[in-house]
Amino acid sequence: MKKRFSLIAVVAVLIAATFIVGCNGGEETGGTLQFYANGEDFVRQGFVSKDGWSISFDHVYVVLDDVAAYQTDPPYDPHEGSDIEAEVMVGLEGLHTVDLAEGDEDALPIRLGDVQAGVGHYNAVSWKMAKAPAGPAEGYSLVIMGTATKDGESIDFTINVEDEYGYACGEYVGDERKGIVQDGATADVEMTFHFDHIFGDAGTPLDDSLNVGAVGFEPFSVIAQDGELNENMAGLQEKLSLEAYEALVTMLPTLGHVGEGHCHCE
Amino acid sequence: MHLRGIIVGNKQKFVIGLTLVIAILCFPAVVYAHGAFIEYTSSVEIEIVATYDTGEPMSDAQVVVYAPDDPANPWLTGVCDEEGRFTFTPDSSKTGTWDVQVRKSGHGDTAHIPVGDGGGTTGETGGYTVLQIVLMSVCVIWGFIGTALYFSRRKA
Repeated sequence: MKKRFSLIAVVAVLIAATFIVGCNGGEETGGTLQFYANGEDFVRQGFVSKDGWSISFDHVYVVLDDVAAYQTDPPYDPHEGSDIEAEVMVGLEGLHTVDLAEGDEDALPIRLGDVQAGVGHYNAVSWKMAKAPAGPAEGYSLVIMGTATKDGESIDFTINVEDEYGYACGEYVGDERKGIVQDGATADVEMTFHFDHIFGDAGTPLDDSLNVGAVGFEPFSVIAQDGELNENMAGLQEKLSLEAYEALVTMLPTLGHVGEGHCHCE
Repeated sequence: MHLRGIIVGNKQKFVIGLTLVIAILCFPAVVYAHGAFIEYTSSVEIEIVATYDTGEPMSDAQVVVYAPDDPANPWLTGVCDEEGRFTFTPDSSKTGTWDVQVRKSGHGDTAHIPVGDGGGTTGETGGYTVLQIVLMSVCVIWGFIGTALYFSRRKA
């Protein structure tokens, strides 16, 4: 009798346990997280600098390394400037050189790659702009190639940046919310680059902090020769005015964003 | 006396009896015909003030509020006033982190605001305590055992 009682009790507990586990909804397998880089319409369509130069871009090579996305709780705050602490992290392997000016005026942001990611909100992103060992940006982390025109004058320019930067950002700020991976679905995160921070934007009031801090293009036009400018940071330090060079050095770390959300840069 | 007799004389009867007793004790709210039931909610209003790095207010900036239980879809949208202020009252039943996104002219930021026991609160009389929930779970399992024993006895 005791044996039968024990057997029945065990079966009953197993049935109850099955109900409880069954109500849990099963194991979450995750989805896909895509990484994008975006130079925005400023790069794809061109724009007018704060000092009236119409700028179009042929190529904007940015070299990205250690690209990663995180689930952070509490959410990472780039204003605090600390390291990102997360229990869940996914990342792209290798170094990626992308041309943010690739495609026509309506081109989509550049897709770097996909990773399998667990379910959740990837609300922090980090990456480095590192010097490329080879390729079109060899020796530089950023190469900006384009043409600037004003009052009939045209200057073909190439600005090579050999400095390296590390960006730590919170969640994407924009028209839609990004980075929410659901079971079996695809989500994306974006590294956004604001080149109006260097050249300024005629479409924004001149007393806006964006234009107050931006270099503009006039300082670059002054050091161009025969309608051409091709310099790296060392050359620009030598030829630009101290004020313009310091403004450039100050603005370069502010290029990296997540949509309209700011990042911490080291 | 009767209880003692069951314990000594017949274990199966004790099992069934105990099951009934525990079941009755576990569900008083269902049994009482004139029990009172009051729901209450105390809400907390949240005010944000959005400014640029310079301290200038983000007047007329777009605001999107996301609730903790649905981070993908806006719970509320609105616009800051001239001083960059925006006020809303979160649904206090949705505890967790409320995200408030503010954008204007290419600038934006997200505030993460915890709403929980220290902020808005919800509650109701007649709710089950942890002890009651555990006891009810035991009752359900014990009910399986008692039922199984009852039918096994009839076959014997």
